[in-house]
Amino acid sequence: MAVARPALLEGKAPRNVFTRHDHHGDRVLDADVVVIGSGAGGATIAAELAEAGFDVVVLEEGSYYQTRDFTADTSAMVRQLYRDSGATMAIGNPPILYQEGRAVGGSTVVNGGMSWRTPDKILARWERELGLAGIARDLEPYFERVERRIHVAPMDPEVIGNDNLLLKKGADAKGWNIIGNLRNQAHCAGSNRCAFGCPTGAKQSALVSYVPRALHYGARVYADVRVDHITRHGKRATGVIGTVQGSGHRLTVRAKLVVAACGAIHTPALLARSGFRSPSGQLGRNLSMHPNVKLVAIFDEAVTGWKGAHQAFQVREFQDQGLVFAAINLPPSILAMSFPHRGAELGELMQNYDRMVLAGMLCEDTTTGRVRTIDGRPQAFYQLAEADAANLKRGVVLLSELLFAAGARRILMPFHTPDLYGPDDARRLLEREIPASRWEVVTVHMMGTARMGSDRTAAVTSSFGLVHDADRLMVADASLFPTPIGVNPMETIMALATRAAGYVIDNAARFLS
Amino acid sequence: MTEYRHSNTTRAVLRSLVPVICPPEAAPFGDAIVEHMTLTLAASPEVLSRGVTAGLAAYDLGALPRYACRARSLRGDRAERYFASWEHGPTPLHVQLARGINRLMSLSCYEQPEMMERLGYRPAPWIAEVTQRRLTVYRDDVRRQEAQILAPDPLRPGVRVKRERA
Repeated sequence: MAVARPALLEGKAPRNVFTRHDHHGDRVLDADVVVIGSGAGGATIAAELAEAGFDVVVLEEGSYYQTRDFTADTSAMVRQLYRDSGATMAIGNPPILYQEGRAVGGSTVVNGGMSWRTPDKILARWERELGLAGIARDLEPYFERVERRIHVAPMDPEVIGNDNLLLKKGADAKGWNIIGNLRNQAHCAGSNRCAFGCPTGAKQSALVSYVPRALHYGARVYADVRVDHITRHGKRATGVIGTVQGSGHRLTVRAKLVVAACGAIHTPALLARSGFRSPSGQLGRNLSMHPNVKLVAIFDEAVTGWKGAHQAFQVREFQDQGLVFAAINLPPSILAMSFPHRGAELGELMQNYDRMVLAGMLCEDTTTGRVRTIDGRPQAFYQLAEADAANLKRGVVLLSELLFAAGARRILMPFHTPDLYGPDDARRLLEREIPASRWEVVTVHMMGTARMGSDRTAAVTSSFGLVHDADRLMVADASLFPTPIGVNPMETIMALATRAAGYVIDNAARFLS
Repeated sequence: MTEYRHSNTTRAVLRSLVPVICPPEAAPFGDAIVEHMTLTLAASPEVLSRGVTAGLAAYDLGALPRYACRARSLRGDRAERYFASWEHGPTPLHVQLARGINRLMSLSCYEQPEMMERLGYRPAPWIAEVTQRRLTVYRDDVRRQEAQILAPDPLRPGVRVKRERA
């Protein structure tokens, strides 16, 4: 039987993708637009502007990989696709480990592919409290456009794995609202390797959607280039200067418009070290993180959670209270490193790997942290709020109850405490003080450090991402979010970037002069 | 990626910690586990790899007052008790180092093919199987989506038009 090709643009690198091997000295490029970062925001705006006829150059600090490069070698994938091997940390008590993708396609290459529109209540708040009048109505057609492009769809039932079916069984037993996850996938094959680069090409990350589209319409992508700073003339951004990783060659891009899409940690640092200041004083502030904790449930039966789609369902029963639950799966090595156990005890625990369900929760945070720029490098600071720690504790209890209802025999907690063996054990946790320092908190959702708004004394950019008090400088990533959004941020980033592209196209004369 | 390489001290201390941190069945892979940690540390922030190197040197020497030998020479119960004293150590730095080494070594331990095999974790053949199934069963949809990605669908009448008119 005939089969389709493995994935778009597989094989030899396209002629307009340049890697470290293509640089033999310092270079200077000219372009209409230079986009820094090739993730959800950067790739989207690059594709839209390239199709509109702009001459676009995209610079990406990470390397260029194709689907065939994504293998079962977990730690190699982590080293290649994550910034600093995923060992990046926000300072606080507890410290919060966060991960950012670093490759062409950005974090969309390593995310779970959850594709949700910004919740109505969040958009209503942005309109009501943050001067973003009309943004809910404005974004509607852009959500539709993004969803079409990245093929947002529910999962095919046959690829839903046992870990997710157990999550559903528990939610149904409790009578809780659980929904099928919408993900950017074209017939997800259920390899459960989303976080290590989709090896089947089914996940429609920017790498296999917006980046090929941008290339098709003439954009040039330079991988392995770290942007040192944005050049400027007075308040006007005039281009960027970057360094080719490995060789140290300098790459200068002169452009009529500069778009920073480096994510909520690196965008404020880039702007700050390039000398841009916000009259609002908000650049680098307002960092939200959606604190995330995980717990491990052990069942009697084989689960084999690594076979099946990643996060096929989300429990939305407590979304209004800022909590969303999902089942995830991690390879043994990544799971083992999250346990405090060692020696024979670790070995005995890991023998249960095939019977484990790993479940996590996302918490919509009520406090904010900050990104400071120290010697040109960003450092995040974030102190988990007491209210959010209390909400996490409540979430852990609820999620434990769900897992016990699904048949779990034993649950390991995301802080040092005896394991739970029944729902009563879980409820007793509510009476216990759990010091903040004991929590093991991680996140992949960083937002808000160049927040948008109409008031230049309170926001860093306009609602289109144009930096207040600067000229020809835009932001197109999750830095723009004025508040956390309580769901996975990729689609909101892409919709905002598409809307920003529309603004640039509508005002092309201004930006091309 | 830094040019990180284990120092002799780091390598010796890590090697001595394999029986303390890894399960007994990992004993035959001790050298491979320590070598694998080189790759992880080389890809980590420099501050982390430097911190680990300095921390392990301190850990090595810290055994002298109590055991009259370096940590790298401790075996069995003595090695276990000394590591536990850092896990529950007198300062957060002791605790963080012990936790950090535990994490890094556990990662490298279960990255060994034999350790994954023991758990029945065989992702490569699974990936090959489901990839083939997708490209066969959903061939037409996959092609349609690829075509859709490149198909013209301008957001606005673009600047190309304006430039051509000019």
